Amino acid sequence: MDLNSTPKLAPGCRLHPTDSILLIPEGTLNLTGPTREILSKLDGNKNVTTVVTELVAQFEGADAKEIESDVLNVLSRLQQRGVVRA
Amino acid sequence: MSSISSNPSPQPGSPLSLIAELTHRCPLHCLYCSNPIEMQRAETELSTADWKRVFQQAAQMGVLHLHLTGGEPLARRDLPELIRAGRDAGLYINMITSGVGLTEERLAALVEAGLEHLQLSFQDIEEMAANHIAGTRAHAIKLALVPVLKKYPLAFTINLVVHRMNLDHLEEFIALAEELGPDRLEIAHVQYYGWALKNRSLLMPTEEQVMRSLPIVEAAKERLKGKIHLEAVFPDYFGSFPKACVGGWGRQMMLIDPAGQALPCHSAAVIPGLTFDNVREHDLEWIWNSSSAFQRFRGDAWMSDTCLSCPRKEKDFGGCRCQAFMLTGDPDAIDPVCSLSPHHGLLMELRVSQPEVLPIWRD
Repeated sequence: MDLNSTPKLAPGCRLHPTDSILLIPEGTLNLTGPTREILSKLDGNKNVTTVVTELVAQFEGADAKEIESDVLNVLSRLQQRGVVRA
Repeated sequence: MSSISSNPSPQPGSPLSLIAELTHRCPLHCLYCSNPIEMQRAETELSTADWKRVFQQAAQMGVLHLHLTGGEPLARRDLPELIRAGRDAGLYINMITSGVGLTEERLAALVEAGLEHLQLSFQDIEEMAANHIAGTRAHAIKLALVPVLKKYPLAFTINLVVHRMNLDHLEEFIALAEELGPDRLEIAHVQYYGWALKNRSLLMPTEEQVMRSLPIVEAAKERLKGKIHLEAVFPDYFGSFPKACVGGWGRQMMLIDPAGQALPCHSAAVIPGLTFDNVREHDLEWIWNSSSAFQRFRGDAWMSDTCLSCPRKEKDFGGCRCQAFMLTGDPDAIDPVCSLSPHHGLLMELRVSQPEVLPIWRD
């Protein structure tokens, strides 16, 4: 996972319409902090840089570098878990 | 009278998953089938409208996952309609299938209706051996289905069912699954209920087999990380503590059988004296909160002092009631898997016993 990757949720994984959980095969993942917000922006077309830019615009005063590392961190972890593809 | 504090009638939270046994009809006759020995006949099956109502009620109660199973769910002609009803209600739709009869046209219709996850199990590596376990010629059909499945946007799990007859070539079995390239891989030891209990002496691996398999599973987990999510469950007959069967009785899931009976687990009907309410007469929420079968082992009032005073009771909820009954004749007994059970010796004997040789295929 890097800034040029175009991540998306793996098949059979989707966000719960209201709660901060990801519905996955045979279970759920509780999404903490900004994770739900990050995942809701993935569409398989946008790259990570675009996702970060959108989040920076959305959270006024947030540190862009910090968001970037958060996003890469979250997405790499979820990729390892098999619920995000890049 | 116990002096240890107990919590006899807790308010249940919402169930998280609903298992819908749509039918007990099945083209396979697996030696380890978890269906009850007394299966429901086709003419007793719930109607399309009944199932739709049940799915809506489940979603309203907070259920997240719907597991469509059987028998073979494809035996229901109304399957796409049922899937759509579940999705429209907001449920996550999983289907457990043999794949027999699943043409690409039918698959496309199921995915279009909202199917999100499909589970296909394999019985062995070699066709002959696999078909022997399944009691029919299904292995080649399953293999041919995989490339078709992968064209569609749904999660795909391969389930390797392991037991005495195939555990020794687990490495090759995993390699076969790896080649087929699922999103998820489950290595599932046979659980000894239903038809599997009848065939236990044939299916139960030796302790040496189990011990040899553990590092193989760990190595596969490491190797497949980030590619295929592997889940494996240690067979509880070889444990020292019981499993948290179905996440605790009446705590997380409910099962509706083909005729509409609501059960706390797949095999609850083996326990004498339980009465199962039917979704034809009651709504799901009433059943969950008030049906006597769901109350029977909810909380800890039924537990022995050994379990009541044990800190693990919040982890395993007293283990499996069906197993306790089947092995000791007493459904309130400590699960004999537990090393604190006075019956634990039964399992120690089973771990070393010799197999009988006559298989019994399910109807």
